[in-house]
Amino acid sequence: MSRLFPKCTRCKTSHFIAFLKRAHYVCSKCGCHLRLDAPTRIKILCDRKSFEALNEDMKSVDPLDFPNYQKKLQESMGQTKSNEAVMTGVCKIKGHPTTFAVMETNFIMASMGSVVGEKITRMLEYALDNHLPAIIIVSSGGARMQEGIFSLMQMVKTSAAVKRLNDKGLPLFTVLTDPTTGGVTASFAMLGNLILAESDALIGFAGPRVIEQTIGQSLPQGFQKSEFLLEHGMLDMVVERKQLRTVLATLLAIHSKRAYKAL
Amino acid sequence: MKSKILIANRGEIAVRIIRAARELGLESIVVYSTADKDSLAVKLADQSVCIGPPPASESYLFYQNIISAALAINADAIHPGYGFLAENGDFADACRAMKIKFIGPKSNVIRRMGDKAKAKSLMKESGVPVVPGSDGIIDSLNSALELVEKSGFPIILKASAGGGGKGMRIVNEKKELEKAYNYASTEAQQAFGDSRLYIEKYITSPKHIEVQVLGDRHGNVVHLFERDCSIQRRHQKLLEESPSPAIDKNTRENLGEIAVKAAKSVEYDSAGTIEFLYDMETKEFYFMEMNTRIQVEHPISEEITGIDLIKYQIKIVNDEKLDIKQEDIERNGHSIECRINAEDPEKNFNPTPGKITQLIVPGGPGVRIDSGVYPGYTIPPFYDSMVAKLIVWGKNRKEALERMKRALAEFYIEGIKTTIPFHKQVMNNKEFLRGHYTTDFVSKFLS
Repeated sequence: MSRLFPKCTRCKTSHFIAFLKRAHYVCSKCGCHLRLDAPTRIKILCDRKSFEALNEDMKSVDPLDFPNYQKKLQESMGQTKSNEAVMTGVCKIKGHPTTFAVMETNFIMASMGSVVGEKITRMLEYALDNHLPAIIIVSSGGARMQEGIFSLMQMVKTSAAVKRLNDKGLPLFTVLTDPTTGGVTASFAMLGNLILAESDALIGFAGPRVIEQTIGQSLPQGFQKSEFLLEHGMLDMVVERKQLRTVLATLLAIHSKRAYKAL
Repeated sequence: MKSKILIANRGEIAVRIIRAARELGLESIVVYSTADKDSLAVKLADQSVCIGPPPASESYLFYQNIISAALAINADAIHPGYGFLAENGDFADACRAMKIKFIGPKSNVIRRMGDKAKAKSLMKESGVPVVPGSDGIIDSLNSALELVEKSGFPIILKASAGGGGKGMRIVNEKKELEKAYNYASTEAQQAFGDSRLYIEKYITSPKHIEVQVLGDRHGNVVHLFERDCSIQRRHQKLLEESPSPAIDKNTRENLGEIAVKAAKSVEYDSAGTIEFLYDMETKEFYFMEMNTRIQVEHPISEEITGIDLIKYQIKIVNDEKLDIKQEDIERNGHSIECRINAEDPEKNFNPTPGKITQLIVPGGPGVRIDSGVYPGYTIPPFYDSMVAKLIVWGKNRKEALERMKRALAEFYIEGIKTTIPFHKQVMNNKEFLRGHYTTDFVSKFLS
């Protein structure tokens, strides 16, 4: 029943799956953008059958022998049919070639461990080598605590890779979706040449409850939501999911070699 | 136990479906919004379920509540009527997923015919004449320009996802094309979230002729002849008649055959209508679109053939074979329908919802009223403004016209303004009486 009639996470209205698919999983009642798994993102955004995965065999190890980490990894792999919390590759969007990464929240909340950092970095290096732009659809709970300092190092590594891409004049577009938090926000997510976000996504470093308890003040309405961040200059655009493919295609077209030559 | 039909609609069509269900010995359940709690359908049905507040988006279009109601009362089937969810393939799928029969065609047919450009190219493939123009979507202004260089003007730009005149532009000259193209695609994007357009040759004064078809799930399709629906105001039909007074025997036979062929090509399995534009000058007709539902004006086809379309819709969904063959269907006499709306013809047909304080409906031989109102009923402002359909039958057009005049004179409604005076005038109009009127009749008539 719940697979046929899933509920909106915000207003709890149930929708027949076909209606929801057609609406790109946006609730027709309250406009809530429901969370999407990585394969669905690829289906919605990339040209049909154009996505080719890179480094999909990379798997995490358990460097700290952290309790239950192995089990969690196995479970997530089973649930998502993916080896890690990010899918990277190359694809076309309305005919424009690009490198493309999308994070998978169903895999330990898309937290960034060594493999996530490495896959993102290698994808950016692939973009460098092949003179391609990069798009990252971000969603994450932050750095993966089970990997301790190794996961924090990924912030540095990915940021350095973005810098190299930037030095070569290749664009990075990041699309922040619900939720984008922690170490990912503090690294590549906020380093896009253009930072886009889906409507009403939670975007921040520490969560609102932690901040509230730390500063002992109540937070303004809409705090850490996309629209709030846009208003305060932290984002470039808030894009409705329905328009996202068109917006990305336009950005790729503007930054293509052909457009560059036309100048 | 009697099987139960849930009616996901309101007004006269809900009453019409209750009547058909009752004659078939079935139980009928209507769903209603709080604005319709006193409606005739609610009073007549065996059971009724409130599904939400007045706005249609929260009641008659809010399929979640309709399906919940159907599950709660154990309905076997849902009849969507016309409008609202009648041509929503996803709704049909949702019903079937919950093991409730959807009284209408298969969902993939609804979807294919709902995409106008796709429907047109599909029909062209099956050898049905279509209005010359682009084969499907035009992808840019340049390809539009190229196309019209060949075909000439005037042309009409239409939204592929469209309906109701939105995203539509008539272009008479080359220099107007660019502006119209941009306008239409923007409007289409805003109205339907889909900016794709297609082009058709614009036929200046056509007749709107449609053919009623009926198909079952065993591959049988018959037609119930044509209806002439050229009396329209802003794409809203006001008066229909069958047969069309402007079509000869050969054309009629041809139309019927083509309509059956078109329906068979998509394995059509319910009551449906294939709409054609009929060019009075060249005597050619072109496929316009297919409506995959019962239509408002279905009674005139029932009157001239004696076939109850709603009953057949219900029987077909229960996998029954059509027990009629084309050669059994005889066209008998002439039928006209006037839509009596709560609108003021003197004030630009503005809706006039309100309380009906007195109501006397016409009767006598050959007169049929399909209506959802009664004396003391208040017409809510939230939905369409139809009060009643006045349908007459006569052994020929002359008798039908006389009968309609007589019935209109008997029809008395107090409390609200209606379109009765407009219809009375039309009944005395020479062009209408001659029968050669086209779709611009009303705009000429009113100016």
